[in-house]
Amino acid sequence: MRCVVGGGEVFEHVARLHGSRAAEALREYVPLYCAEPLEVYLMRAELMHAVERILKSGRFPYFAGFYAGRLRSDKPRFIPSHVLLDRLYKHIGHPVRAVKISDAGIRVVLYGRDVLAESVVECFEPVEAGEVVSITGPDGYVYAVGLSKISSCGEIGRLREKDVVAKTIFDLGWYLRSGTVPREARYKV
Amino acid sequence: MAGYTALLEDVRRRVSESADPTARRLASKFGYLKYMVVRYYEMLGSWDRVEELLEAFEKPLPRAIRVNTLRFGNPREVIERLERLGYRFSKIPWEHHSYVVTKAGGVSLGATHEFLLGGYYLYRGVASLIPPLALSPEPSDVVLDAAAAPGGKTTHIAQLMGNRGVVVAADISRERFRALRSNLERMGVENVVALRVDSRKIPEIFGEYFSKSLLDSPCTGEGIIQVDPTRKTKTLFEDLARAHRRQVELLTAVVRSTAPGGLVAYTTCSIAPEENEFTVAEVLESVGGVRVVKPAVEVELEPGIVDYFGIRLPEQLSLCGRTYPHTHGFEGFFVCVLEKIGP
Repeated sequence: MRCVVGGGEVFEHVARLHGSRAAEALREYVPLYCAEPLEVYLMRAELMHAVERILKSGRFPYFAGFYAGRLRSDKPRFIPSHVLLDRLYKHIGHPVRAVKISDAGIRVVLYGRDVLAESVVECFEPVEAGEVVSITGPDGYVYAVGLSKISSCGEIGRLREKDVVAKTIFDLGWYLRSGTVPREARYKV
Repeated sequence: MAGYTALLEDVRRRVSESADPTARRLASKFGYLKYMVVRYYEMLGSWDRVEELLEAFEKPLPRAIRVNTLRFGNPREVIERLERLGYRFSKIPWEHHSYVVTKAGGVSLGATHEFLLGGYYLYRGVASLIPPLALSPEPSDVVLDAAAAPGGKTTHIAQLMGNRGVVVAADISRERFRALRSNLERMGVENVVALRVDSRKIPEIFGEYFSKSLLDSPCTGEGIIQVDPTRKTKTLFEDLARAHRRQVELLTAVVRSTAPGGLVAYTTCSIAPEENEFTVAEVLESVGGVRVVKPAVEVELEPGIVDYFGIRLPEQLSLCGRTYPHTHGFEGFFVCVLEKIGP
């Protein structure tokens, strides 16, 4: 699995999706791009030395630092990981591009099901149809990542209870259901 | 090294020649191969203790949880959530974020919301908590975890380091590596560089690089017969000798990857001296520039074995530590800390 260190593409996507303040949260990290499709890891500078030793030996690290998401050639161009999203929200103090859903909704989403209008407790702009939306629980943690079916939070009020607000493409239940299958199969997009 | 091969052959011969009727009776009563029981007498020194050990292997292993302090500063919060699910715990006095399960709740530990959602905790055997503590990693360390997957000890090391410093997690198994990645991600670990490699190659890649190294070595599992009772009959003495050879190769590579002044923790989930004291003794002799130091852990350990079937091993091996199910109430385990004192 080939890996390349450096390059700012991931930061550009974070700034585009979550604002320049969110991108500031990642200032101390260096990106590591691995595999095809392109997975992005963010590592602190202190890991660089070990990574360089591995690269110098003609090998590649399997990963380093934390998993930040996946770059794609189609929309959505970047699917951030729940780890990255939690970190960004902590830094800026509130979620963006997110729906907060009820405990009952979370339990369903953790089986890979989509987010229905009846579960949504709060919605955080901007949301954009076909773009990534975070699915958070009442405690504020990101439990899943989805593709938005709505173009603004205001649309939710006009939906029926069973209408889909976000198609779930990754949820934390994956770790239990299939946490040891190749990551290539983890996203339903 | 031919010397240790000959010593192990000597042990094999003595074990196979033993015609002790008590060994035969206990082997038959508990369903073991006789050679194992003969060795237990040599390790423990009395048939009463051997019977206690064999009885303890019949009992289920206690489970422990380690609260993930990378996510939760206050372990009590996680414990209270699990208590609401019917669980009861007692605190492990020597590991400040870990608890033994004294009563199971309605949902299994691997299926609770708390386990699944936020990486609130990891559940495991109690003895598995010892090796990372014995290594006592600090945020300034560069640590090697040489047989890292599926990551229980790697996440513990990262937790002890406060997610700072560097941990190189190496393993060769593709399947187990995926579990490692899942565990690290779920637990919020971010100071790990993962490398899928045969750990015997690590000195070629890094040289004498690491300030602390852990080798939780592949072993025959002779300390966790409670988990795998087939172990009573499936491993022959020849398998032990083969495991020993591989362990010597791995430990040699790990010692060679460690910087002078650094520490190496060698552990197995086996009580077999052939996989433990004999392995360390051979590496002490063949690599040189290393000495055994007492593990800096609060849990009381039984000393390493230095006299086995009349074979005298280096006295410093008594500083290694052992746990037994009948004395500690959890898995049989071995830990030995080596200090690299020079090239």
